[in-house]
Amino acid sequence: MQKNLFIVSGILLAGISGALGKKEPAVPAPMSTQKQLALVRVNVTGQSYDYFRPWQKKAPFSKRALGAVLSKGHVLVTADLVANQNYVELERAESGEKTAAKVEVIDYEANLALLEPTEKAFLDGIIPLEIALDTVVGDRLAAWQLEPTGALLATEGLVTTIQMTQYPIDIGQFLTYRISIPMQYRENSYTVPLVKNNKLAGLLLRYDSRSQLLDAIPAPVITHFLKEAEGQHYRGFPSVGFSFFPTRDPELREFAGERGKNGGVYVTNVEPRTPAMKAGLQVGDIVKAVANNEIDQNGNYVDPLYGKIEFTNLLTAHAYSGDIVPFLIQRSGKPMELNVPLEHRDARDYVSPPYNLDQPPSYYVLGGLIFQELSRQYLKEWGANWQREAPQRFVYLDRFQSELFPEGNRRVVILSQVLPANSTIGYDDLSYLTVTKVNGKEIKSLGDLAEAVKQPIDGFIKIETEEDPKQIELDAAQVSTEAPVLQENYGISLLHRLD
Amino acid sequence: MKRTLIFVCICLLAGSMSDAQQNAPAPSPIAPQAPPPPPAGPSRPTAPAQAVVPVPVPIAPPKPNGPVQKSLVRITATSVEPDYKAPWNSGGIQRGVGAGFVISGNRILTNAHVVSNSRYLTVEREGDPNKYPATVQFVAHDCDLALITVSAPDFFKNMLPLKFGGIPALESTVSAYGYPIGGERMSVTTGIISRIDFQLYTHSSIDQHLAIQISAQINPGNSGGPVMQNAKVVGVAFQGYSGDVAQGVAYMIPTPVINRFLKDISDTHYDKYPDLGITYSKLQNPAQRRFLGLKDDDRGVLVSTVVTAGPSAGFIQPGDVLLAIDDHPIASDSNVELEGERAEFQEVVERKFNGDSVRLDVWRNKQPITVTIKLYTPWPYVVQAHRYDVRPRYVLYGGLLFQPLNLDLLEAYRPTDLRLRHFFEYFVVEQLYLQHPDVIVLTNILPDAINTYLAPYRGGIVDEINGKKVRTLDEVANAFAETPERFVIRMIGDGPPLVLDRNKVEAARERIKARYNVLKEQNLEEQPVTKTPEQANKT
Repeated sequence: MQKNLFIVSGILLAGISGALGKKEPAVPAPMSTQKQLALVRVNVTGQSYDYFRPWQKKAPFSKRALGAVLSKGHVLVTADLVANQNYVELERAESGEKTAAKVEVIDYEANLALLEPTEKAFLDGIIPLEIALDTVVGDRLAAWQLEPTGALLATEGLVTTIQMTQYPIDIGQFLTYRISIPMQYRENSYTVPLVKNNKLAGLLLRYDSRSQLLDAIPAPVITHFLKEAEGQHYRGFPSVGFSFFPTRDPELREFAGERGKNGGVYVTNVEPRTPAMKAGLQVGDIVKAVANNEIDQNGNYVDPLYGKIEFTNLLTAHAYSGDIVPFLIQRSGKPMELNVPLEHRDARDYVSPPYNLDQPPSYYVLGGLIFQELSRQYLKEWGANWQREAPQRFVYLDRFQSELFPEGNRRVVILSQVLPANSTIGYDDLSYLTVTKVNGKEIKSLGDLAEAVKQPIDGFIKIETEEDPKQIELDAAQVSTEAPVLQENYGISLLHRLD
Repeated sequence: MKRTLIFVCICLLAGSMSDAQQNAPAPSPIAPQAPPPPPAGPSRPTAPAQAVVPVPVPIAPPKPNGPVQKSLVRITATSVEPDYKAPWNSGGIQRGVGAGFVISGNRILTNAHVVSNSRYLTVEREGDPNKYPATVQFVAHDCDLALITVSAPDFFKNMLPLKFGGIPALESTVSAYGYPIGGERMSVTTGIISRIDFQLYTHSSIDQHLAIQISAQINPGNSGGPVMQNAKVVGVAFQGYSGDVAQGVAYMIPTPVINRFLKDISDTHYDKYPDLGITYSKLQNPAQRRFLGLKDDDRGVLVSTVVTAGPSAGFIQPGDVLLAIDDHPIASDSNVELEGERAEFQEVVERKFNGDSVRLDVWRNKQPITVTIKLYTPWPYVVQAHRYDVRPRYVLYGGLLFQPLNLDLLEAYRPTDLRLRHFFEYFVVEQLYLQHPDVIVLTNILPDAINTYLAPYRGGIVDEINGKKVRTLDEVANAFAETPERFVIRMIGDGPPLVLDRNKVEAARERIKARYNVLKEQNLEEQPVTKTPEQANKT
């Protein structure tokens, strides 16, 4: 009965498209191209670093996802999927044939990664996906998943909003499609391509099954990533380095010297050593236009495709690191033009790095005291609610890092925990302290600490902390003699790892 | 006039009665508050122990405690809780029941939390149908004790004042008397002395004093009642854990704390506990002891922080080792021996009064020195304590509500703002009070056309107004009393300035006051609420 119905509807569709006289295939496209479906299964085994026991990795995880096959033998997935991977494997949907793959380029901030099969011929016969850049609100996109048989499972959803949102690594804002879609669970659903007219329109970023809302990394961000990836060195998305506030408040406008009803945003903070600072942007300036696009009082420009959208899109999706972008500003009522040379801000350029993936965390074990560098990756060990659950002092230092350490170019060294040992008797209740000095020397990185501990004071290592107890002393000789026992007892393979 | 007053009273009582009746058979909103669970590191969360083991019934005391009914009173307090979210209002009216007992000098001892914020008090005694209006004589919020009295001439005539005993021995049996839920008349429960230790007194939630844990059942309504042994008071029941945290854990205020309170008020004024105003760490690490040049004799604690606003400033330095206090050697775990009992060395200070001196043997730079410190109460801790019988301070300007940060404010708004919580938490130990004696928070905005764009500023801490640093709420009020064209308010952090056009605000002031029923635009004085008990008694 069902089969009959299906045939009938197929015929009907064929009749209509035939009547319309378009060049599109008569039958729905996915069915006809099943043999060359531009999807491969991606199986990832990985291990995250254990920030609570930084000398080791956590138990392995495995994730199964789908990758979109693009030109030049590349497979596109999310960075989230392959972060901290040990082994990545591609699997042909229809034949089950497998090959190992390596991560060619990865951008954690934009959450995108390009894979390449080790066997060059592995993707032969697949017609790569082209990219559809023209998605607008109201379009319908299909989420492509695979049935266990390898057959296509396509679910259609409606693009409800296109806006700037934060991606999982919360740095800056990126363009995002929000799609209302009833996704079904399938085994390889970690990364799911979204398709418009057989072209890649986006990649699943997050999905909320209760509200059935899906956020997708949109084609413009993907294209930006791919274009950058073609270069010799992948530089990443540019950041400018200033904070802004709407100028809707007439009192604030007048205070800033703005008389009319014009647009622009009020600059509240310019971060040191960023393009904004280098270009001479100042707190109190009103940014009126970016890259020749006027911006309104809320910070939106009129995009030809999306209409009003936050001007940061001009900097992330449209501009590249190395570009010089003109900013039209108004300072004390006078218009000025600033040329902002865009740069990518590396995670390591922060005092508390926002992420650290695929790289082991540094640490230093000294007679049972464990020293680490504060990072958001460390704080995220407290889980999804880390902002509430992690030590609040550290969350505070991370949040206000540019205000608290305007000089930058340093780390915050913390005494994260104490392993009970002979040298740490009486210290076993200490944890989550920030280290200021060791043996009288200021500590701005674990490297500083490693150097400072080499010069004990009269045979003692003196550690000073910002919080109580303010000072901790160890017997340098005891620390060395006790080290093998400590390593044995707590299974510490290496007593320290520095950058 | 009289009639109006009576009418008001009945109204209030009835209101709270109907409230309470829905919940429990006996209205007793005064519950001994449970101390917060001990702070645990997030990496090792501790689940509250759920004991389901039946507790053996304690044996009845060998000696009866005499006719305690002749000493015990039931106290009914009608209180007005300040409303920190609408500080111009008088706040919610509550009624609670607690216990008290007669002591020498026609006085009734009870808990501070029974009579805190009270506007009207009555006491009843066993076998007497009358309710006697009472007045608070002294209240000590830092040790949760209060003295009240009854002016009715014959009230104390047939009452027996109770006498105080000492610290009862561990495992000895005690009886607790009071008016807990479960009935109207006096209740007696018995138990044994389980533990003698320093505890947080949750009424202020910052003060720690000696407290005795007893296994006698104590429930809401027991507060302020005597705990007796051999016909003498050995403590005042005051707090416990609620059943879902820990079972059979109740605390009483022991007689050293009671005696200290009674001595303190003997000059007709309660002066509060003095405090050294330091933080310290135990000195149990052998290497640290050798580094500091200390002997291997298990003595001394290391001073970590000295509060600038405290009495030790200028006498004690971070890094000092405290070896003895008034000739009592301080052990490396911070205990001293007092009358055969080990106690935290702070107990020596606890027993003193403001203006007394304490002598400390200090080890500084490997040399012994002796310092004598004249004690007083460091003020900044008050920000981190619950406060009672005070009027919230605030300034409302242009619909913007500015309030100084304190524990009660924090609990009223429960902000999640990291910066606010940091300023509260580190107010004393990081000496933030030096720059910000008042941490002025823009807590709320009463919407009006003149402030419609200002919502994002809510929760900010005011740093300066028109280029001038703002340190106290008075300075906020003074700044707004000036007449510049506009006010530019800078918050701490990198937010935008908040700009107000003075003329527009002035034009809106009456409108905002009327719309939100604001009686007064500011209160700068935290003066104790003026009570008119005499007047009330006449009704």
